[in-house]
Amino acid sequence: MNDKLLFAVGTLLSWAGWGCAFRFAFLGISLAAKSPGLDAKKAQRGLILSGILGAVLLLVGLAMPGVRDGKELKFPLVWFAMPFLAWAVLVSGVVAISRLVQAWLAMNAQERSQRLRAAGIWAVATAVVLFLYLRDSENKIEIIKGGIPLSLGTAVAIILLALASMAAMIYVGRATAGRGMVKAVVIQITLIAGSVVFGLPFAFLLITSFKEDRDMSSPNGIVWVPKVQQTMKYIDKKFPLYEASYQGETVQVNLIEMNTDGTAQADIQRPMALRGQTFKAKMDAFKLVPKDVPIVTVKMDGSVVKGIVIEEMEDGQRRVSVLEPASLKGKEAIYPPAEVTPVREVGLRFQNYPEALEYLPIETHNGLVYLQNTLILVVLTVIGTILSSSIVAYAFSRMVFPGRDVLFSILLSTMMLPGAVTLLPQFLIWRTLHGVDTLYPLWVPAFFGSAFTIFLLRQFFKQVPMELEDAAKIDGCTYIRTFWQIMMPQTKAAIAFIAVTTFMGTWNNFMGPLIYINSPEHMPLSYGLQLFMGDRGGEPGLLMAFATMTIIPVLALFFASQKYIVEGNALTGLGGR
Amino acid sequence: MLGLLALGGCASTTQSEHAKQQELIIWGVALGPDSKGDQAVIAEFERRHPDVKVRVLNMGAGGMNPQKLLTSIVGDVAPDVIFQDRFTLSDWANKGAFRSLDDLLKRDQADPLCPKPKQYYKAAWDETIWDKQVYGIPTGADDRILLYNKKVFRENADRLRAAGLDPDNPPRTWSETLSYSKVLTSKNKDGSLKRAGYMPNYGNTWLYLYSFQMNGSFMTPDGRTCTLDTKQNETALKFMVDGYDILGGYENANKFSSGFLGKENDAFAIGKVVMKVDGNWILNDMSRYSPDIDFGVAPAPVPDDRFYQRGEFKNEKDKFITWLGGFSLAIPRNAKHVDAAWEYIKFATSTEGRLIQCDAQRDWERHKGRSFIAPLTASSEANEAIFKKFKPADKKFADAMRMHIDMFPYGRIRPATFAGQLLWDQHVKAFETALYKKKSPSEALRTAQAVVQQELDANYEKEKYPVLDLSIPVKVGITAGIAVLVALLVWFSRLKMGRLARTEALWAYLFVAPWVIGFVVFTAGPMLASLFFSFTRYDVLNEARWIGLKNYTDMFGTDRALVIKAFSNAIYLAAVGVPLGLTTGLLIALLLNTASRGMRFYRTFFYMPAIVPGVASAVLWTWVLTPDPNKGLINAGWQQTITPWLGLAPPAWLQSADWSKSALIVMGVWGAGSGMLLWLAGLKGVPTTLYEAASIDGATPKQQFWNITFPQLSPIIFFNAVMGFIGAMQEFDRVYIMKPASDGSVGPDDSMLIPVYHLFRNGFGYFKMGYASALAWMIFAIILLLTFTQFKLAPRWVHYEVDK
Repeated sequence: MNDKLLFAVGTLLSWAGWGCAFRFAFLGISLAAKSPGLDAKKAQRGLILSGILGAVLLLVGLAMPGVRDGKELKFPLVWFAMPFLAWAVLVSGVVAISRLVQAWLAMNAQERSQRLRAAGIWAVATAVVLFLYLRDSENKIEIIKGGIPLSLGTAVAIILLALASMAAMIYVGRATAGRGMVKAVVIQITLIAGSVVFGLPFAFLLITSFKEDRDMSSPNGIVWVPKVQQTMKYIDKKFPLYEASYQGETVQVNLIEMNTDGTAQADIQRPMALRGQTFKAKMDAFKLVPKDVPIVTVKMDGSVVKGIVIEEMEDGQRRVSVLEPASLKGKEAIYPPAEVTPVREVGLRFQNYPEALEYLPIETHNGLVYLQNTLILVVLTVIGTILSSSIVAYAFSRMVFPGRDVLFSILLSTMMLPGAVTLLPQFLIWRTLHGVDTLYPLWVPAFFGSAFTIFLLRQFFKQVPMELEDAAKIDGCTYIRTFWQIMMPQTKAAIAFIAVTTFMGTWNNFMGPLIYINSPEHMPLSYGLQLFMGDRGGEPGLLMAFATMTIIPVLALFFASQKYIVEGNALTGLGGR
Repeated sequence: MLGLLALGGCASTTQSEHAKQQELIIWGVALGPDSKGDQAVIAEFERRHPDVKVRVLNMGAGGMNPQKLLTSIVGDVAPDVIFQDRFTLSDWANKGAFRSLDDLLKRDQADPLCPKPKQYYKAAWDETIWDKQVYGIPTGADDRILLYNKKVFRENADRLRAAGLDPDNPPRTWSETLSYSKVLTSKNKDGSLKRAGYMPNYGNTWLYLYSFQMNGSFMTPDGRTCTLDTKQNETALKFMVDGYDILGGYENANKFSSGFLGKENDAFAIGKVVMKVDGNWILNDMSRYSPDIDFGVAPAPVPDDRFYQRGEFKNEKDKFITWLGGFSLAIPRNAKHVDAAWEYIKFATSTEGRLIQCDAQRDWERHKGRSFIAPLTASSEANEAIFKKFKPADKKFADAMRMHIDMFPYGRIRPATFAGQLLWDQHVKAFETALYKKKSPSEALRTAQAVVQQELDANYEKEKYPVLDLSIPVKVGITAGIAVLVALLVWFSRLKMGRLARTEALWAYLFVAPWVIGFVVFTAGPMLASLFFSFTRYDVLNEARWIGLKNYTDMFGTDRALVIKAFSNAIYLAAVGVPLGLTTGLLIALLLNTASRGMRFYRTFFYMPAIVPGVASAVLWTWVLTPDPNKGLINAGWQQTITPWLGLAPPAWLQSADWSKSALIVMGVWGAGSGMLLWLAGLKGVPTTLYEAASIDGATPKQQFWNITFPQLSPIIFFNAVMGFIGAMQEFDRVYIMKPASDGSVGPDDSMLIPVYHLFRNGFGYFKMGYASALAWMIFAIILLLTFTQFKLAPRWVHYEVDK
């Protein structure tokens, strides 16, 4: 433990030492370059101070045991593996101490007493967390030693690069215009790095959705450049594949039994949702179609030859028929799977998308029914929310009636109400209305307005100049016409924003369908995707393809309506002011 | 309003459409390559009943999800037939969720297809009975016998003989089993196992089988008392402990068995385990993957006293005992097509139906070049017919099948109880603690018994509480509503106002009516109802009972551990996740605000994660967070950086109790872009004059941030913190989707259990409407408390412009 503690101290000191060293270098270069606006005296003092401090820290830090162990050059790293409570102790302790220091430095008595009080509160908090932390004997702090291995060349290169960039910054910074440029470059670099981090999961999603199964797992890290198995059309004489029609669907089948009366028993291979089901039909209803067979290389007579797998046998072995060289063409042999090397080329496996849809229950027509249900819900919810909320908001913002303020404060308070409280009774209501396993419970409530939308629209309506409305009234407009022809057009942007957010909220709604919907023909996409994950979770290619398909419409909408989202978000945020 | 009208209209049209051909919906059966038999049965049934079309739900909701089944029964959209594990029938029957089949059985007595109790093994038939009524017809059945590897026995013949054991015959008693196991077990130098003679809980025995053999039971016949902690069960558990002691302890044995593979490398098939007690369902795979294995069968070994019929077993006539289980077909209580459902059940469970099923499955396997061992049923008549027709050609498999059939009459069943699942979980917990030697067998059993007993008492004590007529509160509510409406009308008509003002007010009332109606119907009414329910015990299917504060005391009593866990998990997620998300959003916004170029592009980019639909992003992140560094994005990165630098192995994220919440938080930070837009707007709103003044005064950027930017933004920070906390306390979707599929717990060791999930499970999983309502109010109270605290603390740091 002591050893580790010393290592930790040494590491932290050496980090500080490096910091000082870079400051030393920075000040040195700026002094040498006579960078404008630099207080030379102050800089010299800083130069000396950071030089001495850096040297001492580095010497002490690097001298600590373990910091420099081994022949390998390492940048030392240390991590404190602490339970959450220990971090809380640390943070609150540091805050308490800093408040004490502030109190000590305070200008006047009032500030001092304020700071002292804060320090006291934080000290109590520290004590409480410390107590909680000590109560559980399993809590312990562990120091983890480590280091980033560096070769001498890399280390020198990093230091040189740092010095060079400092010099460049100072050189450019001499001109006032350059200063802004340095800043802009640094910000751009940070932003690009951030975008990469935020974009990686998207890239992962997209690429995974185009990967073959064998690329899903790789000991060399994630496969970013997928490859696809090359295939060839092949008419299989031995196990022919037929196309036929079954319950209105085109299916691919194997024939498992020929009957004497000219019919045959067919076993469905594709679509996946029907796989394994059998049916009987007349022979002439079946149409012979080619199979897609994988192209592979195998060793034959001591040389590597290219061929196609024409049969996957029951015991896992593969029957391969040679394609190239021409001399061996058509020759067949049986290989264990390990000796068969697939021929793969860089490319995307687009089939994941149609295949994902094929696995969906047949009554959903390749997922179209999911999409249809989601669209029904989205359209009805958006229309319902906007119609009802806007007219209510109009009344609240522009009309005078007894009880308005009471009603409005009730409305505001319902915004805080967690949905959980009304979840169960609402289910019971829909049950008595026979609404379970229908779409009604998911869209009907939208026609009764949503508190947040009403509140938001009311703010917008209030901004519409009174004169417009007064003019309309004088012209003898009814309230409905005033609302519809004067107020609504004035708030198009707000309504667009609300439409977009409602769209997204409905598209994402998961708990509602989870509770109310049972049969595939009433399911929206969100629930379908979750069930698909339970069903085909082991096939990430298909899963990610399906997930991508549910994301794309939302992203498209987002790009089309970005302006409204940005503006609207700004306004809702300011609503909290 | 429109919606309600449309609702009425549509509901009536859909019902009339279905009148012609009945659609029989079956849940729990999936059609695929391994269920050719079921498909054949359905096809034949449809041929005989042209007016019925059978529909099997093949993804998700049609599976064995009890929450969906119960919701569908409660919501009156139940399937017509459900394939159900027999020992859970009593639980469903007790809830009143299934229909008693007594009347149908009586009506169709004369029908040759109609199941008759005498065709069935008594235990299997009894398992379908709850409160003297039949709730399901048994289909498949399974029992357990001993399988032993003859080859290993032969190879060790000399050593067995030296120990006084017969190498040509298997053990018949417990003590013989242990002696054989001692000889046949072999270990490596470090004590790890090379081969196990007999692993008491490998195969399929659990504690149940050994307890049955001791004449033990886990429940009194009336189902009111849990009897886990009895002499018999303790002896049974001691046998398990002794069995594992020979193997070097439970942990050592588990280490050994964690390396077991399936199919052709099955541990028994390759002689890693020499003897095991297992069920008949394994025979088909054995004949497919390891047809050459030389094994023998015998009844499962029994306690010595039983075998020699002495001591407490003196008057016992059955030497050997087995454990019998299996499935059944049942009809939910509000099934739409009871007659068709009954016809289907009769046909599917009949001997004829079973033979059709076996035929079709055999043809399929044969076509694939595979062997076929017929599944056994709970009907002795059908089993004899099946054995006659499908007797395996290979003698050892034929012997095994025969032995299974012969043992069925000696099968015992798990007790009929509504607490079946809990009893199961607790019995596993009990024997595991004993096997790990954390507690003595009797101590472990006693603890488990206490937990089960509590649940039993709670159910029986419900009869103490008065039944509530739910129509009264509804009537009171409606009357009160009308009274309030009338009072308001009177009040309004008496108000002194001009004609114009009155017209305006009337129009205004008309305009706000949608919201007011919605508020009453979907918010205020449900809230009152929920408050009311929280004082009752109500499962929708049975009458409600007034139990006063019991739901609330339970929350702090029996369910305390889970409730505390749920709330502390949520508070952890909120306390770490919300500030982290806000800070990330703010940092991005600050960078964007200073960036001169590409602002729009970056804004789009950082905002994109926030608009990805929740389910899709949960699906994506489940994969991103996969623990295997060869697959998961995060751990692949970890493997290449942190592992070589700090020597830390990648964490198991969602699969680990310590990391699952961190996983959710990391995922939350990815979506921090949603806050960013607000910050950007806020930053644009800060008057530039403030900064100009500050820089003239020589303020550093840091000082400018803390003295200008932060106070100016603080109202938005506050607004977001409040909304973020409220949102975090109501999380549900992510956890529901991302929690690893497992037994009862939500995430490892319930580390992902959050309040709304707990509510969902109680409400829609167990339909404890009362308790779930109490939980809902608890969530509400905690949200209010947190929000209130935030508002109290706000003046300390939130800066409001006075003149606004």
